[in-house]
Amino acid sequence: MNPTAQSLLWLSEVAAASFAGGIVGSISGLGGGIVIVPVLTIFLHIPIDKAIAASIVSIIATSSGAGAVYVRDRITNIRIAMFLELFTAAGALVGAGLLAGHVHPRLLDVLFALVLLVSLLPVFAKLGEELPQNVQNDRLASRLKLNSSYFDKHLDKRVVYNVAGVPVATFIMLGAGLISGLLGIGSGVVKVLAQEIAMKLPTKVSTATSNFMIGVTAAAGAGVYLRRGWVLPYLVVPVAVAVLAGAWLGTLLMERMSNNLVRKIFALVLAVIGIQMLLRGLGVTS
Amino acid sequence: MTTDAPTRRHPLPIEDASAWILRTGVICSAAVMLMGILFSFVHGRTSLDRMQSDPFEYRPGVIWQGIVHGRGKSIIEAGIYLLLLTPILRVATSVVLFALEERDWLYTIITLTVLLLTLAGLLWLG
Repeated sequence: MNPTAQSLLWLSEVAAASFAGGIVGSISGLGGGIVIVPVLTIFLHIPIDKAIAASIVSIIATSSGAGAVYVRDRITNIRIAMFLELFTAAGALVGAGLLAGHVHPRLLDVLFALVLLVSLLPVFAKLGEELPQNVQNDRLASRLKLNSSYFDKHLDKRVVYNVAGVPVATFIMLGAGLISGLLGIGSGVVKVLAQEIAMKLPTKVSTATSNFMIGVTAAAGAGVYLRRGWVLPYLVVPVAVAVLAGAWLGTLLMERMSNNLVRKIFALVLAVIGIQMLLRGLGVTS
Repeated sequence: MTTDAPTRRHPLPIEDASAWILRTGVICSAAVMLMGILFSFVHGRTSLDRMQSDPFEYRPGVIWQGIVHGRGKSIIEAGIYLLLLTPILRVATSVVLFALEERDWLYTIITLTVLLLTLAGLLWLG
């Protein structure tokens, strides 16, 4: 095969895998990076450190794309996002700057698989189905004016909410940032859970705000990866563009289906991938 | 929210500015990156081996030289920078709007700190 055709074939393979990953990521609600990295390493045999570097750059695109829609519709809580970004960005700098590059690829496999499997739990356990009631603002929330409201199209009314558990959430965000910087993912599930369980935010607000924060978290970590030459430009393009396209299509499909079963099937596929990664990391398979 | 009060309407709400920056930044960077791929193939000297090993060049001066010479990889690198700068620019705009429009000094300091943190990896931590 001539060199140009060979290059084109590789780019197409990466793009096809990333496109599929983008669809699965958006329908399962897990996001881009956590699906893309296993897909690239397991199916295309791209080294995990290269996949992580491409992922941390690419998720800036997906989170910004989705983030723009939510913030325009005034569902995102900008103040919560800005305040918590202090911690996710600091965590990402530590994860990317101090930890990444010092962790054995096999251990990365194991860590990644564990984060993936834990992230799947909320898909099966029904969480945040109804609006939180009787929440009191804590001291930090009052001081930072974090309580707000949004218009819920589904309920057809304005939902006013208070914010609790801010100190706990800051610690979790530090950890979420660290995972982002080390594993090249948005840690969206961790962010959403911290906001729903600790801060008692309505689901839509926590999803929108988490999406908004992921871009900044990833940018803080990605700066380190770019500066150190860990990012392969020719890998980033097919991944970033195809994940973006896949995520966009996934959102369109979601609106039509609104079927929880499909979400669960996708999540099951991801569970199999996570277990495969875990076995590889533990040296059971190669 | 202040949007209910017609007397205190902001000429440029942070939400709308952010949404515009995020959308425009992502679309532009994707377009530039794809153009870079196109240029790589027009110039034709991009072997699979190099695609799988050539690292990102972060020095803007070198990237600029490459763009002047029509190198696909440099155009892609410019696109990647554009993508990285998209959320950073969103934060920078929030700093200005919190200071000038909202006159909220606490949040001006918070957003300014976030801005410095996002730039730290690229500028100092390498």
